[in-house]
Amino acid sequence: MEEPESPDEHEPQRDQIAALVGSLETDWQRRADESERFRQVVRALRGVTLPEKLRIAGFTLHPVEHDGFEQACETCMYYLVHRRWCELPEIDLPVRAQWSCNVWRV
Amino acid sequence: MANLLWLQGGACSGNTMSFLNAEEPSACDLVTDFGINILWHPSLGMELGAGLQALLRKCVSGEIPLDIFVFEGTVVNAPNGTGEWNRFAGRAMKAWVKDLSAAAGYVVAIGDCATWGGIPAMAPNPSESVGLQFLKRSHGGALGQRFRSKAGLPVINVPGCPAHPDWVTQILVAVASGRGDEITLDEFQRPKTFFTSFTQTGCTRNMHFAYKVSATEFGQRKGCLFYDLGCRGPMTHSPCNRILWNRQSSKTRAGMPCIGCTEPEFPFFDLNPGTVFKTQTVMGVPKDLPDGVEKNGYMKLTAAAKAASPAWAEEDIFVV
Repeated sequence: MEEPESPDEHEPQRDQIAALVGSLETDWQRRADESERFRQVVRALRGVTLPEKLRIAGFTLHPVEHDGFEQACETCMYYLVHRRWCELPEIDLPVRAQWSCNVWRV
Repeated sequence: MANLLWLQGGACSGNTMSFLNAEEPSACDLVTDFGINILWHPSLGMELGAGLQALLRKCVSGEIPLDIFVFEGTVVNAPNGTGEWNRFAGRAMKAWVKDLSAAAGYVVAIGDCATWGGIPAMAPNPSESVGLQFLKRSHGGALGQRFRSKAGLPVINVPGCPAHPDWVTQILVAVASGRGDEITLDEFQRPKTFFTSFTQTGCTRNMHFAYKVSATEFGQRKGCLFYDLGCRGPMTHSPCNRILWNRQSSKTRAGMPCIGCTEPEFPFFDLNPGTVFKTQTVMGVPKDLPDGVEKNGYMKLTAAAKAASPAWAEEDIFVV
């Protein structure tokens, strides 16, 4: 039987993403509040490099307070709690609970 | 013996196809076991031309008692309110609908088009289509809000695109067997026995709904279809996951989001690009929340559910 992958296996990749996000200018304040903007961002995420993906999605290493709610990966519907993974097909990356991005949704 | 007449207005015949696929009871059982005499139906009727006109006139005059008048499809009013775009048996169908409804013991609207206008009544509604007693959520329609059939009931609305065959046959059997007065209707005149619970009731993805695990692409067997793929199961009144389709499945069980086809607003958002099979959100929160749930409660529930979700909720549990 196949063993489920451990979330810890991807810690080096999370560290790499954290380092990249720290060095990138991301447009994290432009939240995809409306469905149309969400679609634009998702379309732009297709087929791009990892740094571009992080920049377009507006990754942050901390939750973003918006519209009275704290937007963190851990409450986003694309976040898999046990795998610590973003399952939005256009992102599909290991993430951390306290990160955030512009396409946060519940 | 109860006489039944079934006519079609602005329709695709989808409800007729659904009705003819009924199993328990079947369309034949209605005749042989439940005493329903089908006077005429677009796919079953034998009369043509003058013979059909004579039959319809006899129903209107009362020479042939019309116990149940079933209508499928919209009532077409174009052009300019005349209804001449949908002529049938020598006159505008809307005229037959009015006269036959006045003569009938019960009037039953089958499918979205006959109940609230459905797809033909979408903006800009070139056929000026309406349902029998509604246009979308607005009361009125072709017969007017105050219409009551001879039995004292308004039009019995059995919506759906199409309506499930059991919803149709069970209502017809109830009426034909003299139990029409036991049918209780909701504010949209839908039989409560079918349209009080939600499409979500009985959905096999309810565990994923509870733990906020989303399906993100079609074909995934895990995950709830509400969060991302536009499923309207939590807001739609229908028994699609209690009275299964073909006795074995439903849209959501097969991985297809519920499109809310038993609600008056169907098709939602007028099918604008980007609105079909995609959950519409404002500030990251679904525009349409599960029935009766408010935004703050939804947010709190999300945080709690995510925190409590077990590992299996993230895996595909329907293993072949």
